[in-house]
Amino acid sequence: MAEKLRMNVEQALASLSSVLLGKERQVRLALTCLLAEGHLLIEDLPGMGKTTLAHALARVLGLEDKRVQFTSDMLPADIIGVSIFEPQESGFRFHQGPVFTQLLLADEINRATPKTQSALLEAMEEGQVSVEGERYPLPVPFFVIATQNPSSQFGTFPLPESQLDRFLMRITLGYPTADVELQLLAGGGTRQQAYRLEPCLTSEQLKQVQAACRQVHASASLIAYVQRLLQHTREAEGFSYGVSPRGGLALLRCARCWAWLSGRDHVVPEDVQAVLGAVVGHRIRSASDLAGHESDRLVAQLLAEVDVIGQ
Amino acid sequence: MKGRQISRTAVVWQLLAVMLVVLPHVQWLPLWVPALVVLAIGSRLMIHSGRWSFPHWSVKALLVIASSGGLILSFNHQAGPETMVALLVVGLALKLLEVYHRRDALVVLFVSLFVAATAFLFSESVWIAGYILLTTVLVLAALNSIQQSSSARRFRDNLKSAGRLLLPAIPFMLVLFFLFPRLEPFWSVTIDSGQAKTGLSDELSPGDVSKLAQSDELAFRATFEGEVPLPAQRYWRSLVLSEFDGRRWTRPSHEQRQVLRPEQLQPLVSAQRYEVIMEASGRPWLVALDQPLRAGQGTLMTPVRTLVMDRPLERRRQYPVESVLQYRQQPLLTRQEARHYLQLPAGGNPDSRALAQRLLTQADGNTDGVITLLQAYFNKTFVYTLEPGRLGRDSVDQFLFETREGYCEHFASATAFVLRSAGIPSRIVTGYQGGEWNPYEGYLQVRQYDAHAWVEYWQPEAGWQRLDPTAAVAPERIRTSAQDYFSTNEGFSSAGMGLGIDWLRDLRQRYDAFNYSWHRWVLNYQGQQVQLLDDWLGGEDRWRRLLAWLLPTMLVFGTVGYWLLRPRPTLPRDPMARALMRLQQRFATLESGREPAESLAMWLQRVADDWPKQRALMLRLAFLDDQQRYIERKDPHQQAEMKRLCRILMRQLPRKKR
Repeated sequence: MAEKLRMNVEQALASLSSVLLGKERQVRLALTCLLAEGHLLIEDLPGMGKTTLAHALARVLGLEDKRVQFTSDMLPADIIGVSIFEPQESGFRFHQGPVFTQLLLADEINRATPKTQSALLEAMEEGQVSVEGERYPLPVPFFVIATQNPSSQFGTFPLPESQLDRFLMRITLGYPTADVELQLLAGGGTRQQAYRLEPCLTSEQLKQVQAACRQVHASASLIAYVQRLLQHTREAEGFSYGVSPRGGLALLRCARCWAWLSGRDHVVPEDVQAVLGAVVGHRIRSASDLAGHESDRLVAQLLAEVDVIGQ
Repeated sequence: MKGRQISRTAVVWQLLAVMLVVLPHVQWLPLWVPALVVLAIGSRLMIHSGRWSFPHWSVKALLVIASSGGLILSFNHQAGPETMVALLVVGLALKLLEVYHRRDALVVLFVSLFVAATAFLFSESVWIAGYILLTTVLVLAALNSIQQSSSARRFRDNLKSAGRLLLPAIPFMLVLFFLFPRLEPFWSVTIDSGQAKTGLSDELSPGDVSKLAQSDELAFRATFEGEVPLPAQRYWRSLVLSEFDGRRWTRPSHEQRQVLRPEQLQPLVSAQRYEVIMEASGRPWLVALDQPLRAGQGTLMTPVRTLVMDRPLERRRQYPVESVLQYRQQPLLTRQEARHYLQLPAGGNPDSRALAQRLLTQADGNTDGVITLLQAYFNKTFVYTLEPGRLGRDSVDQFLFETREGYCEHFASATAFVLRSAGIPSRIVTGYQGGEWNPYEGYLQVRQYDAHAWVEYWQPEAGWQRLDPTAAVAPERIRTSAQDYFSTNEGFSSAGMGLGIDWLRDLRQRYDAFNYSWHRWVLNYQGQQVQLLDDWLGGEDRWRRLLAWLLPTMLVFGTVGYWLLRPRPTLPRDPMARALMRLQQRFATLESGREPAESLAMWLQRVADDWPKQRALMLRLAFLDDQQRYIERKDPHQQAEMKRLCRILMRQLPRKKR
């Protein structure tokens, strides 16, 4: 049973990698994020394959997906839905918005106004939507994969820290390498390939995998290492603020999933280190750079300064 | 804290400490006091083993009353240090009976330390010092043991930590020893019972010196800056006796002393400088070689050129002297002085007076002639012995004409009597003659059996001159030491000086040399200290002294404090973590240390390729560490294997990068 699950997950990874050439690490991270039941933020320039990744993920996991392109004139109702007066029924009827889906792709989330952003973020946090005093539960599982342009670009409303914190991971895709790019150019568009992917997991199996990930053993020394990492972001020089306890829990959760994906039933420090940048990067800020562009450097510093073994 | 009961080990420690602390006092304590201590320890042991219970208060009250009475009876209301120490010891013994809480034990041990220190009131020998050091360690161990609630710790551990506690005290002790000014005691402690003090008396009657000569106790030691005088020159003068009552020679009476002027001394050769360490004698007079030039530090010169102190010598004392061995002393006498040195009792000893007249006529009134004749007379039939017969009323007559045997005081007394009868001013000098050279430390040791009496007679122009009648009878006594003389003469074997065996004598000399060093460099360090401070600080300024004493103290305390509180790289307590830590440190010296971001397994796998021989071991260790640390498989076998692997690796790895 477990073997079958693992095989399916491996297959899903392979499928994803076949679409996103040369991005094994990011693909794996994205899958980790979904296995850890968290929302994913992909930050990169336009045209780097963000949407392709989101589509491909939805396909291979066999999830129903919808896509919303955020713009600066969007209103919350455009996402959540709206109550419309039905003359036949002589009453209001709620028309569900695109948020009612298993996997929502929120493209260029930082182009929307904060009001609209927060409407989505409430849905992400609560797993439900309130409209005019009525609560409408969202389907399970519910994932949001949001993409955003780097905040230095024009026409963006950067997400505040409190909302960034709702995303379990933030990853960047980056330019492809030369070889990959050649392959890419020769092979034509990849978006269509993504639509053609076959689902590898049923949603039942996905639940099982998620349960299995939660069972991965994290030893006391490992947890101590995680705690030292968190502590360091709060105490060391160069950090303007540190990682919240929620961030810590997120880190451990992701490390468990990464370990499971790597075929282990226990977490080792390398798992933590693998997901550290993605989980912690958007939760810390350099004291010298408030725009938040130095998170990679900070994560590297964190890794180098915290002893894995400790005393 | 104070309410807690002390452990059984601690009780045993205390009993041991008390026993050892009281031990050096046993020789002088009244017998019942050690008996009480033994009784207390014994009953304490019985209580300790659970066979007896703690004594009822009435028993304790009885013991207190009885022992207080005992102290009063034993010490006759004297409030000397013996009484006080005895009181302490008794209190210690009684307190032992009721040690139950930690507070009681503290009282016992603190009083023990005090009692231990009082041992120095009675003896300052190096043996006692060593013994007290040992007991201090023991008392500290006992103190240590009462701070532990369980008796799980072994005796050796207590002893070890006591030693460790004493170690930081050593530098402090040295600083105190070298720099702390030696204060005179604020009160004078006179102790009669301990060091038996023997020495010359200020009067001389037949039998006095020979009694002294029975003792081989040390009188004093002397070190010379230049050449050591020959044995025949070693006349150590101490007292001048010039009044005779027919039997006893005494110092001049107070009225007579007004008459005597301080005597002039014209040195004929350059002075000899030396230092004397005089043992406690209980009397104020000191010794100096014939004749002292001037009084040194802390001593006074009498008119008759002997050295005294302003109070009795209750402790060993070191003083410098300068003497000239050839001199002219007091070439002129006033009439009153001459009368004083010719004084004789009105009657008695008629035969001796007649002998003096006879000799005077025989020598045509020549003083030298009289002396030569007298010496010849002695030489004929007289015997030099330590055990002359007892002399009656006319002691000089009896000695000169009947017994004809005697010790130096008999000869000196008779000579002075005859000379005075012949109208030659003369007097008796007592002191010591000779001394034994100790080659190991280079000093002269003079013992009580070197005590001697001789005569000085006065002649116009020449002044006072020494005349030793013993030299005529037993010249070897003067040329060699008293010890040699006695050991080779049958008649003196009774003096207990059968030290003919060379190695025994050698051993004794070595022992004495050792004691001498102890006295000179430790107990009497004061002189050198003043010198040292002067050398270092260039003068005896009070502030400089204070500084000199404060700075090293602070330095010592600072060092000790830093050593105790220094930030130490905390090696983990867990033996396995420690082994792994050591392994990492070793690899770090080999320039393949672990990076902080690396787990042990990652790191070992990374560096394993650099060590082909150890590769398998390292990979195995990596695997095991992963198992232990992250799977938390608490498998003792695996842990043992890891430790073994660490050991093997430590053994195989070089210490430094080649």
